[in-house]
Amino acid sequence: MDKRIIYPTDNGGVAIIVPAPDCGLTIEQIAAKDVPQGKPFKIVDVSDIPSDRTFRNAWEYIE
Amino acid sequence: MAITISGSTGIAGVDGSANTPALQGTDTNTGLFYGTDSVSIATAGSERVKINSSGQIEVTAGSSSAPAITPTGDLNTGIYFPSADTIAFTEGGAQVGEFDSSANFKINSGYGSVATIFGCRAWVNFNGTGTIAIRGSGNVSSITDGGTGIYTVNFTNAMPDANYAVALGGDNLTGTGNLILNTSGSFNTTSIQLLLTTGGGGTLIDDNYVSVAVFR
Repeated sequence: MDKRIIYPTDNGGVAIIVPAPDCGLTIEQIAAKDVPQGKPFKIVDVSDIPSDRTFRNAWEYIE
Repeated sequence: MAITISGSTGIAGVDGSANTPALQGTDTNTGLFYGTDSVSIATAGSERVKINSSGQIEVTAGSSSAPAITPTGDLNTGIYFPSADTIAFTEGGAQVGEFDSSANFKINSGYGSVATIFGCRAWVNFNGTGTIAIRGSGNVSSITDGGTGIYTVNFTNAMPDANYAVALGGDNLTGTGNLILNTSGSFNTTSIQLLLTTGGGGTLIDDNYVSVAVFR
């Protein structure tokens, strides 16, 4: 699956949900199930997520 | 001598019994007999198979040495019903498996006797570096990358409770001591959070190969 779900964490960072291939759920269903209740989220392309994780904890969720 | 029947009435009037079937050959205690909305087959004076009024096929319970359902030519291999609400499997006259009345699945897979097996309820193998990606999984809907060394495994179908066991594996990219997969994050019915740290200082790190298996 070439999509990711992102949402802000409580400490000001960003969490990235990586869907499991062949889990039988759509990206929207995974978002509804795995994003913490009440959190805003976005569905983005995997290419939008940096692969360089050197400063991973500095990443932020932009509305 | 053949009997030819014309019209729509057919042959009727005798139900018979297991010991004296209504329809029989030269063996007088083997054949077909009838009840209200049911048909049975008897052999040697005993009812063996019955189609009941609900359309279900009833067979005798059988045993490990003579299972109720068996293939031609291998009569000590098949399915039998040793007690109420129980389904058992036999090979060569010896029990090899069973679904017991509590829905436990038991097998003899080198155990020496049938014993309950406790299956893996969820598993995942993922790349925790670069572009995070799941290589393979079962009963896992996603993983959540919460920051360096912080991953949450989300279950497709929730666990019955949070008292499950977790087996973890990974490799240490940093090479500084042993990799510790710390599950102090939290056990939940819908997910488990993993904290990956180096052995020495407990610093959170990403890992290339992370494997998680959940047993309950």
